[in-house]
Amino acid sequence: MSVDNFCETISDQINTGILVVSLDFTIVKWNRFLQVHANVTPEKVLGKCIFDVFPELPKKWFERKLSSVIQLGTQSFCSWEQRHHLFELPHTRPITTDSHFMAQNCTFLPITSDNVITHICILIEDATDVCHYQTMLNKTLESLAMANRIDGLTQIFNRKHWEECLAKEFSRARRYNHGLALIMFDLDHFKLLNDTYGHLGGDKVLVETSKTIQSLLRLCDQFGRYGGEEFAIVLPETDLVGAADVAERIRAAIEGTDINFQDQIIRTSVSVGVSIINSQDKRYEDLIQNADNALYKAKSSGRNRVCLSTELP
Amino acid sequence: MSALNLNEDQQDCLQELINVAMGQASDQLARYLDTFVHLKVPSIEQVDAKSLSNSLNDEQMAVAVVSQGFFGYEGIRGEALLIYQPRDSDRLADLLGYEPEELSVEEQIIDLSSILTTTFLNVFAGQIDNQMSYSAPRLLSSTKSLVSEHLHQLSFNWDLALKIKITYQVTDYSFNCDMILLIPESAIINIKTVLNRILDEF
Repeated sequence: MSVDNFCETISDQINTGILVVSLDFTIVKWNRFLQVHANVTPEKVLGKCIFDVFPELPKKWFERKLSSVIQLGTQSFCSWEQRHHLFELPHTRPITTDSHFMAQNCTFLPITSDNVITHICILIEDATDVCHYQTMLNKTLESLAMANRIDGLTQIFNRKHWEECLAKEFSRARRYNHGLALIMFDLDHFKLLNDTYGHLGGDKVLVETSKTIQSLLRLCDQFGRYGGEEFAIVLPETDLVGAADVAERIRAAIEGTDINFQDQIIRTSVSVGVSIINSQDKRYEDLIQNADNALYKAKSSGRNRVCLSTELP
Repeated sequence: MSALNLNEDQQDCLQELINVAMGQASDQLARYLDTFVHLKVPSIEQVDAKSLSNSLNDEQMAVAVVSQGFFGYEGIRGEALLIYQPRDSDRLADLLGYEPEELSVEEQIIDLSSILTTTFLNVFAGQIDNQMSYSAPRLLSSTKSLVSEHLHQLSFNWDLALKIKITYQVTDYSFNCDMILLIPESAIINIKTVLNRILDEF
């Protein structure tokens, strides 16, 4: 067997599609990989135009792609990550993946004879496996990123992510001289609720309170669980009057909500502190400190009420 | 001075080879893209893994970094990084001669990167009687952040690299991008061998 024959054997055994076209897009080589996957014998495709054999090819794009190979005499690539497939071929994992066609990495190679490009070889690699696992990995990363931001019990932002949001909004408000308000509130006598109804009862109150309040907020407001039974809301572009209004609605909504827990009705209330950004605030922590002071005032003056860090204008 | 540093003659020789390659590459690109492509005089320097991020820091906000490996005879190999700024990606499809709806911005960026890298390196390889092969170009990241952050995500297992930076300018499309060729420590010695041979012949 001569070495040329070896090459023929290898090109027919290799797990890569080898397709060669002349400069007028006529197919001149078609290896076994393509014969098997496209289920078309070489006799049916040799001498035919590639666009007739694969009508799904994006014709203009394909022609421009090949023109770069011909004009610049260099190889060109096409990855499944940007273009899932060029050729509609079945793949080797039809059962265990949800991919309809074979995901492909294609390489376009110039073939020269006496320094003149006469043909273009297109190598087609099956990337379905990689594509499948990469897609799974991306989904996992997304849900991890989500889990990293969300409080498991209440499904609102956790302390860390909420604080990052506040930091961002604070520097934006500073830079553009915009309004920014902060509401912090605490469930009244939460320890007593836990003692009376058990921790499951307490958890139910935290979950229901979060739901009730979320429905009162705008999309741009950032609502997070600050600590055990303490919550906080960042209100961008909001002045003291607007924030006081939201705070009062929150107080009233919680006071007026019945929470059903194991055939009992739990009623609760919140104490609310409100602060707005002012010219003395150097850091976002100052805003938290002011809201916290107002919250302390609300608690010490009898609970179930709203206190503001500064007087209403 | 480490054995990996290029001496003055080697540095001049490399600079000259690159200048010639830049001229020819810009000519080929101009014909293919049908517009003038300017390549700005390159900077050649040694960088260590730690200072690479720092030395790329002045790139400011990059939208995309594309990496493509290259490898030729005599152990000449390395990695090309193409770095794009946000303002550069608006009219790429137009420049490349595609209809904008035919391909995503990411594909445009990768396509252009591959064209710029392979055209330049093919000419360069021709200068040193070599021939390059390439890995498929990969988008390292396309989110808006500092280039150094893109690079921080990569784990480096090299100490020193030869860094060649070339800026491409396409004035008609007010487009700029930087190509940074990084030749790892293990290949620098091979480059030096090639440069010495050329210097001897000269």
